Amino acid sequence: MFGLNKIIPVEPNINFLGLRRNFLIFSILAILISIGLLSIKGLNLGIDFKGGTLIEVSTKNTSIGELREILSSSYNDVSLQEFGNENIILIRLQNKSNQESIETVNSVKNLIQDKVVEFRRSEFVGPTISSELLFRGFQAVSFALIAILIYIWLRFEWQFGFGAVVALTHDVLFTLGLLSILNVEFSLATIAAILTIAGYSINDTVVIFDRVRENLRKYKKLELVDLFNLSVNNTLSRTIMTSLTTLLALVSLFIFGGEVIRPFALTMIIGVIIGTYSSVFIAVPTLLIFKFRPQDEDD
Amino acid sequence: MKNYPFWKSFTVVSLVLLGIIFAIPSIIYDEDSENWFLKNKINLGLDLQGGSYLLLEVQLDVLYKEELDNFVDSVRLISRDQAVKIEKIDIQENEVVVFFGNKEKIKDIKDSFFQMYRGVTLQINNNKLSIMLNDEYRKIIQDSAIKQSLEIVRKRIDESGTKEPLIQRSGKKRILLQLPGVKDPERIKDLLGKTAKLTFHIVDNENTSALQNNLAPFGKIIVPDMYEENTKYLLDKRSVVGGENLVDAKGSFDQTEGHAVSFRFDTEGAQKFGKVTTNNIGKNLAVVLDGVVITAPRISSAITGGSGIITGNFNAQEASDLAVLLRAGALPAPLEIVEERSVGAGLGADSIAAGQIAAIIGMVLVCIFMILIYGTFGALANVSLIVNLFIIISLLGTIGATLTLPGIAGIVLTIGMAVDANVLIFERIKEESLKQTKVFQIVKNGFDRAMSTILDANITTLIAAVLLFAFGSGPIRGFSITLSLGVIASMFTALMLTNFLVYMYLSFANKKELKL
Repeated sequence: MFGLNKIIPVEPNINFLGLRRNFLIFSILAILISIGLLSIKGLNLGIDFKGGTLIEVSTKNTSIGELREILSSSYNDVSLQEFGNENIILIRLQNKSNQESIETVNSVKNLIQDKVVEFRRSEFVGPTISSELLFRGFQAVSFALIAILIYIWLRFEWQFGFGAVVALTHDVLFTLGLLSILNVEFSLATIAAILTIAGYSINDTVVIFDRVRENLRKYKKLELVDLFNLSVNNTLSRTIMTSLTTLLALVSLFIFGGEVIRPFALTMIIGVIIGTYSSVFIAVPTLLIFKFRPQDEDD
Repeated sequence: MKNYPFWKSFTVVSLVLLGIIFAIPSIIYDEDSENWFLKNKINLGLDLQGGSYLLLEVQLDVLYKEELDNFVDSVRLISRDQAVKIEKIDIQENEVVVFFGNKEKIKDIKDSFFQMYRGVTLQINNNKLSIMLNDEYRKIIQDSAIKQSLEIVRKRIDESGTKEPLIQRSGKKRILLQLPGVKDPERIKDLLGKTAKLTFHIVDNENTSALQNNLAPFGKIIVPDMYEENTKYLLDKRSVVGGENLVDAKGSFDQTEGHAVSFRFDTEGAQKFGKVTTNNIGKNLAVVLDGVVITAPRISSAITGGSGIITGNFNAQEASDLAVLLRAGALPAPLEIVEERSVGAGLGADSIAAGQIAAIIGMVLVCIFMILIYGTFGALANVSLIVNLFIIISLLGTIGATLTLPGIAGIVLTIGMAVDANVLIFERIKEESLKQTKVFQIVKNGFDRAMSTILDANITTLIAAVLLFAFGSGPIRGFSITLSLGVIASMFTALMLTNFLVYMYLSFANKKELKL
């Protein structure tokens, strides 16, 4: 065949655990910075969670500057942005009450009617709805984390569950931190992306943990650090392969999937990279806290 | 091949064929097909086919307030009958407190009141009577208001000519609307934004001081003009007849009056209207819509035919919309639009095209990558991957799921993740091939060892997807559906189809050794 699979040796022997201190420090720093960013700068909340009005138009014979001039004379809190190409413009308005904003949509449409070829999309989310959506988003993420934890706990020993949750929390916080730095819009789709990242990262972690468990039974005398190293190495080519194929699909989505889906694809790309990293460098080393050798091995 | 059981090959091949056959309707996608088979196609969500999603909230507070006002009127009437003086009435958020001049007859008043409004909580404290809206009573008001609102909204939407609308209650006090293909959401919003409560009232022209002081005496109300804010009318509070007695309303055109709405009453309405117009010749009759006077013409002669026209400064659209509203009937309480998402057909079509391109390119990239890494085995995995895509599409079509833009993202993501099971298997085979030389034994061990890992890994993803479905809304649910179906289909294609293909390949190629 092409022999490319030989790039990753069949039995690699890389001392991942030896580097754990460096990566631990890196991750702790990253998490602290993320928390700092989230509390100071916060996330770039989209209208799903902040409420407000969004109108996407395709225009003719006009510029974003001209539209801004027309609209800013009537509205204080209006922002315009090119969306994909210069003829497509996204208009965002912040409203105070529900009633006001439904009228806002109408009057914005009237103001720019003659510059517009098509009103591609208009969205309005009232203040009660946006806070409900935010609440439900948090609910979904927390329940997912708990459910995954319960599953891991049922299938593995509880120490593994702990390791998985540390890695998951790391992934979610780190991803949110990066979203904050990059100023990626945080919307309902982002919540979906975060949950999928949680699923993906756990998936990755579980595959390695599976091997750790298997090796714990197989090599009863091996030092734990060496055993963990061996397990990570055993699964290394799978870890890399799956991340790469997933990233290939996501990059394709990011480039070709259209403007609307781009923040989602970006969040997923960030999350898959972080999730893969954390499975190897966070989840497995966490297991070292416990001096465990499963005592009651029947098989 | 000798060891591969027939039932297994049969199951795999037939499932794959079913998967491909049932994907056909969605791939052809004939929108109007009535064919039983071609009807099993994917439903496109509003974000892909264009349309409006609206969430309306019934303003129950207005109804509670109205009910408290009714209490006040009733208490006044009862105490007038009992000849008891009322000193003060205090209307609070949840209750009405009435202070009486003496407390002798307060018990009788309470009893008569209870006869009229069963279920209300009443309390006597010295000379005070508190009338409270309790939770039960509120719930009755709420349920009937929502039921009525749903019905009226449905009628108005039907009248507007929207095809296949979805109208349903959402939570305690909301109504959810999905209107596919709506081109002008503003008009729909206008139609829903009006309560359309129409009433006719006799105008009191004599009591001019009431208007000057802006203080309506008992039994009267002051109502502003629709067009001139400063013009106000003093009207009898009781309406002589209302919109509930209308049987028909139409936009019409009159040479002298311009655009107008012509209407017709039912028998009861015609009788009331005839009687009132006969007895009040010379007075003015105000037509009140949602708390403003549209017009207040003088009654020049008795109108006994039961029909008439309402004139105002209407244009053609306004007149016909008002007719629609009057035909559909009045909402019990105003509706507030709390969420709106409208997508034009152009953006929807763009999204589908972009999604298709992303899926195809992602697919090609992953396939090339798999062949580069695993050679022939990679090609076999690619067959599984393509079948996997067909199965997702056919499942979406047959269960009648809705495909949204995030749903397309879920499919593209699945393309990347679906090869994971294959990778797990191939990596195990690679390891096994170092331990022994019997080709079929290597493959068997590879699949067996990978099995539990594949299950564990996919179930965690499924958990996340299911919770996303439970707590997500709208388009996000579309994502969780395609992701779940993709994960399930990928387990089948990897554990059964790839397995089948690998055995077939090894037997036909008559491989004596395995290098991966």
